[in-house]
Amino acid sequence: MKRNLYVLFSLVVLASVLLSACGAKATEAPVATEAPAATEAPAATEAPAACAPTGTEPIAFPDGGKSVTGAWSQEPDNITPYYTQMSYAIWIAQLTLVGLAEWDENGNFVPELAAEVPSADNGGVSADGLTITWKLQPCLFWSDGEPLTSADVKYTWEQVVDPANAPLSRVGYEKISSVDTPDDQTVVLHFSELYPGWQTLFTQGPNNSGSILPKHILEGQTGLESNAFIHNPNVGSGPFVITDWVPGDSMTLLPNPNFHGGRAKLDRVQIKFVPDPETALAALQTGDVDWYPDFSEGDIETVNALEPAVHLLVVPGSDFEHYFFNLGTTAGVDGKGVSDVDGFCPFKNINVRKAITLGINRQAFVDSLLSGKTTVPATQWPNSSWTNSSLTPDAYNPDEAARLLDEAGYTLGADGIREGDCDGKKTKLSFNFETTTKQIRVDIALAVQSDLAKIGVEFKPIHTPAGTFFAGYTDGGNMPLGKYDMAGYTTGFYPDPMSGVLDSYACDTIPNKDKPSGTNNYHICDPQLDELMAAVNASADPAVRKTALDAVQQHIFDQYYVVMMYARANVYGYVDRFVPAPFGFFSNLNWNAELWDVK
Amino acid sequence: MWAYIARRSIQALFTLLIITILCFILTRLSADPLAQYATNPNMSAADKEALRERLGLNQPMPVQYFRWLGLAIQGDLGISFFSKQPVGLMITQRLPNTLKLMVTAEIITILVSLFLGIISAVKQYSLLDNVITTFSFIGYSMPIFFIALGAMLIFAVKFKEWGWPYLTTGADIWDQKDPMQFIKHMILPVSCLVIISTAGYARFIRTSILEVLGQDYVRTARAKGLSNRMVLYKHALRNAALPLVTIIGLDIPYLLGGALVTESVYAWPGMGRLFWEYAQRGDFPVVLGVLLIISTAVVAFTIITDIVYTFVDPRIRLN
Repeated sequence: MKRNLYVLFSLVVLASVLLSACGAKATEAPVATEAPAATEAPAATEAPAACAPTGTEPIAFPDGGKSVTGAWSQEPDNITPYYTQMSYAIWIAQLTLVGLAEWDENGNFVPELAAEVPSADNGGVSADGLTITWKLQPCLFWSDGEPLTSADVKYTWEQVVDPANAPLSRVGYEKISSVDTPDDQTVVLHFSELYPGWQTLFTQGPNNSGSILPKHILEGQTGLESNAFIHNPNVGSGPFVITDWVPGDSMTLLPNPNFHGGRAKLDRVQIKFVPDPETALAALQTGDVDWYPDFSEGDIETVNALEPAVHLLVVPGSDFEHYFFNLGTTAGVDGKGVSDVDGFCPFKNINVRKAITLGINRQAFVDSLLSGKTTVPATQWPNSSWTNSSLTPDAYNPDEAARLLDEAGYTLGADGIREGDCDGKKTKLSFNFETTTKQIRVDIALAVQSDLAKIGVEFKPIHTPAGTFFAGYTDGGNMPLGKYDMAGYTTGFYPDPMSGVLDSYACDTIPNKDKPSGTNNYHICDPQLDELMAAVNASADPAVRKTALDAVQQHIFDQYYVVMMYARANVYGYVDRFVPAPFGFFSNLNWNAELWDVK
Repeated sequence: MWAYIARRSIQALFTLLIITILCFILTRLSADPLAQYATNPNMSAADKEALRERLGLNQPMPVQYFRWLGLAIQGDLGISFFSKQPVGLMITQRLPNTLKLMVTAEIITILVSLFLGIISAVKQYSLLDNVITTFSFIGYSMPIFFIALGAMLIFAVKFKEWGWPYLTTGADIWDQKDPMQFIKHMILPVSCLVIISTAGYARFIRTSILEVLGQDYVRTARAKGLSNRMVLYKHALRNAALPLVTIIGLDIPYLLGGALVTESVYAWPGMGRLFWEYAQRGDFPVVLGVLLIISTAVVAFTIITDIVYTFVDPRIRLN
C-alpha cells in the first residue's frame, strides 16, 4: 500500500514539475552588456542632421546600481491604455510609452515629446479650433535607436480609428478627419467638428493615456488588442523600458538610453504586484518595497504612524465621492428623458434635496474618518482650475434642514420618521441608499444614517459588490434601471471638463428600454442644464469655456441634484530612502520617473 | 476495469457539463464585466455598447454559454475579456506556481498529520493527546488571513525590528530559479497552509487508528506477542490508512485551485489569485477556465482514487 501511495505522490510531483517546465517563460528583452555613459537630452536647437541615438538597447543594471521596487495592487492588463482603462496601464505607459504632452505637478499642461503645447498664441490652435498643430522635439529616438517622428503620431491615430482594431474608446480620435505630417517634427490634426478636449488626445494624464505607438514595429499589423507588443513592449519612448515581466508577479524596467529627457537617475525600477494593502504596509516596514500608491483614505492614520521610516503623502484629487437622488420620471420632461420607472417621489422637491444636503455633517466625517486630509467640495471639479471658486459647500445645519422639510409638508410621525403628501400619496421620508461594500463607504453611510435620523429621515444603506452595483442595464444594474432611491460612488470629470459630463447629465442619455446603453444614472433631465453644458463645448477658447462651466456648476449647485461628499485623495506610502520627484494629482507619481532617486 | 473507467468517464462528462452550466450562470449573475467602466468618463455610451457587442455580452445567456462550450470542447478556453490573452496561457503561467506551493504544503501536512495523529491515538487521553488536540483545533479554527498576516507581522516585520534574522513578506522581487530564495519564500505561506490543514487530517488519522486498534485482529496480533511498534505499523496503520487515501485523493484536485487568501497575502502569483482577480471583474472566460480545470481534476481524481483503492484494499472490486 505504501508503494501505491508513493506512486500517487510521485505522479502529483511529476505533474507539477512538468507543468513548471511547460509554463510560459517571462519575456526578456535583450539588454546591453555595458552601461553606456549617461546621456543628456538632445538640445532642442540641434539640427536633425546631427542627431544620433545614444544606444539601441536598455542600459544594463550595473553592480551596486540604484534600484527601487514599487508595489502595485493590480497587474496592468497591457501597456497601451487604448486597449484598457486600468490606472496601472496608464502608469506603466508613463514609464515606458509616453505621449506628446502631459500635466505637471501643478496641473499645467506641459510638453513631453512635443517641443511646445499648441495654443492660439503660437499658432498651434487655429482660429476656428478645428486644426491643431503639434511640433515634436527634434532628435527623438525610440529605445531601439529608430527615429521617433510625426509619422509615428499619424500611425497611432490610424490604429486607434482602424475598425480592424478594438480600442476601448475612440472618443475624440474619431473627430479627427485627417492627419498631415509636412515634416518629421510637425503633426497637423484636422477635426471634422469642434473638439475642445483635444488636449486629452495623444497625451498622458490621470484619466487618459495617449501613448505614441512605434510605426516601425507595428506597421501592417491589425488586431492590436491581442498584439504581443501591446501587451509587453520591449521598445519604448519613456524613461524606462520593460525588460522582464513575470505574469502575475512583477516587472523589471531598465533605463532607456534615448529618452528625450536624458538618462534616468535610477538604474532599475521594479514593480511587484501586491494585492493586499496589509502586505504592502508590512513590506514598506521591512523594506521589501519602496513605495505603495494604493492606500485608501481610511489607511491615512495607519501609514502616518510609521513615520519616520515610512512617509505618508496625501494628494487631493479631482475625483469626488458623491451621493445623488434618483430623479427618474416615466413621464419625461417635454417628451425627453423618459426613465423606465419613477424615482422616489419626495426627491422631486428641491427643499427635500436641500434638507438632506444640509442634514449631513460632511465636514465631521472628513475630519474624523478621513483624518482631515481632504475637503468637502462645492462642485464636480474639486482641486481643479475649472472649479467655480465662488461656490462654497453648504455647512451642516440640521435646524434649517428640519425647517425646509416642514415647509415641504413632511412632518414628524410617531415613529420619528417624517411623512407628507407627494403627488397625492402619503409618503414617508424613508428610502434606500445603494453603494459598494468598500469599508470607508460603509463607515460613512453609517454616519449619514445617524445624521439624517436626527431630522426625521430614515436612510437605509445597502452595500453590494462593485461588480453588481455598477452593472449595466442589460445585466440588471439598479442604477441604469432606475431601481434605487439614492446612490453614491466616486467619479470625476478631468482633465478636460467635457469628459463624460454630457453623457452623465444629459436628457438623451438616460438609460431606458429603448436606450439601454445610456449613462445618465442620475436620471436627471433638465433642459436648462443641457443647454448650459452644450455651451461649454461650443468654443475652443478656454476662457469662454470656463465661464460656461461656471454656469453649469452654479446650476447643479442651486438645484441640489447631488450631495458632494468629499474630494477623493490619492494616498501614498514610501520609504525614507526613496526620493520621488514632485508630482500632483493630474500628473501622478509616474509622470517624471526619470528624476526618481534614492538617498 | 476498462469498462468501469469508460462508464465513469461518460458519467464524468455529464457531471462536468452540469458544473460548467452552474458556474457560468453564477459567474454571469455575480458581476457585469463592463461594470468597471460604468463611471469612466472617457468611454461614451456608444463605446460601451460596442464593447458589449464585441465581447458577445449582448447575446442571450444560453448563446454566450454555448459559444464558450463549443470552444472549450476543442480545447480552447477562450480569450480573457480584459487581458486579451488566451485563458489557457494564463492558466499555464500560474498553475506551476500554485502546484509548487500547494503540493509542498500538502506533503508536509500529511507527514505532520500522520505523526500527530498516531501519537494522539497511541497516547489517547494523555496530556500529549490533549495538547495536540487543543493546538490542532486552534489552528483549524483561526481564519487563514489572520494566521497569514500574524505570521508576517511576527516573522518578517517584528523580527527585523528586533534585529533578528527575518523572513520576507513575499512582496520583494526574488529569483525564482534560486533554490534558497525559493525555500525562504515558501516558509511562511506553506506554514500557514499546514497549520490550517493539519488539524482535520490529524483528527481523521487519530480516529481511524483508534478504530483499528479496537479490532479483533489487532488484539490477536498482540496476543501473538508482537511488539506494540509492529502492531501499530504493520497492522493498525496499514488498515487505518485506507480511508486516508480517499481523503487525499479528493483533496489533490483542490490543490490546483490554489489558496486564494495565502496567495494574496504573500503575493504568490498562483491560480487562487488569478481566479479571484478576474472573478471580481466578471471575466467569465478566465473564471470558467479555472473552474473547468479544477472540476475536471476532481472528477478524474475521484476515478483514480477508486482505482487506487483496489490496489490498497484487496477486498474491493470495481465491478
